[in-house]
Amino acid sequence: MDDLEPMDDFERELQAALARRPAPQHLKRKIMERRWQHAGRSHRMIWLERLAASLILAAVAGGAAFWRHQEEQRRGEEARQQVFTALRIANHALEQMNAQLAEHNRDAQ
Amino acid sequence: MAGAWQPDFEQLVDEHQSMVFSLALRMTGDYGLAEEIAQDVFLELDHHLRKIETPLHALLWLRRVAMSRSADALRRRRVRGIDRWVEMGVEIAETHGSRGEERSSPLADRVERLLATVPEPQRAALVLRYQEDLTPEEIAVALGAPLATVKSHLQRGLKLLRTKAAIHLKEYVRGA
Repeated sequence: MDDLEPMDDFERELQAALARRPAPQHLKRKIMERRWQHAGRSHRMIWLERLAASLILAAVAGGAAFWRHQEEQRRGEEARQQVFTALRIANHALEQMNAQLAEHNRDAQ
Repeated sequence: MAGAWQPDFEQLVDEHQSMVFSLALRMTGDYGLAEEIAQDVFLELDHHLRKIETPLHALLWLRRVAMSRSADALRRRRVRGIDRWVEMGVEIAETHGSRGEERSSPLADRVERLLATVPEPQRAALVLRYQEDLTPEEIAVALGAPLATVKSHLQRGLKLLRTKAAIHLKEYVRGA
C-alpha cells in the first residue's frame, strides 16, 4: 500500500462513513464527576498516608528513645558494678592491711 | 522551559472526547463500553497531565491509550467468552438498532457494523486510517506495530471490507 496513493471511491465512502461520531452529551459531565470523586479519594489517601507516616515516625522515634534509655540504664548499672567491685577490692586491701597491722602490734607487744 | 504550554484538562476533554469515544466505539462496537473506555482514558490522562508537553503530545497520547484500552476491553471480553463479533452475524446486527446513540447516516451505521466483523488488528488499522486519516507510518506509531504489519493489516482489512460491502451494502457502495 502506497501512503500517497489516492483513495478510490470505496475508500472515500468508507472515510465518510467513519467520520468521528459526536461523544455522548453526558460524557464530559461523567468524566468531570469521576475526576472530582477521584481527586477527593486521592486527597483522603494523601491524609491517610501522612497519618501512617507520622505514626511510623513516632514509633521509630519512640523506639529510639526507649533504646537510648535502656542503654543509659545498662551503662549506669555497669558503672555501679565497677564502683562496687573497686570498693570491694579496696575493702579487701584495707582488711589485709588491718590484719597486718594487728599482727605487727601483737609482735611488738 | 519558560512559557511552556499548560494542559487544561477540561479543554482537552472538549477537544478530544469525540475522537476517543469514536475510536473506542469502532473498536468495541459497544456504545456503553465505548463510553466507559473514554471516561477511563481521560481519567488516565488526568493522572499523566504533568507529563503532557504539547497539544500534539496530548492528541497522540489519547489516541494511543484509547486504542490500547479498547484492545484491553476486547481481550477481557474474549476471556469472559463474550465475543460479540462472533455471536452476532452482520445480518443480525443490521436488524438491531443501536441504543440511544446519535446516528450519522444509515450507511455509516451499516459500515460500522461491517467493520465490527473485521478481525481486531485489521479493524484497528482501518479505523485509524479512515477515521483519523493517519498514514501507515502514523498508524504504526499509534499501535506500536511494525510498518509492514500495519500495511498488511490495512490491505487485508480493506479487501475483506470490500468483499463484505459488495454483499451487504451493494445498494450504497459504488467502489466495492
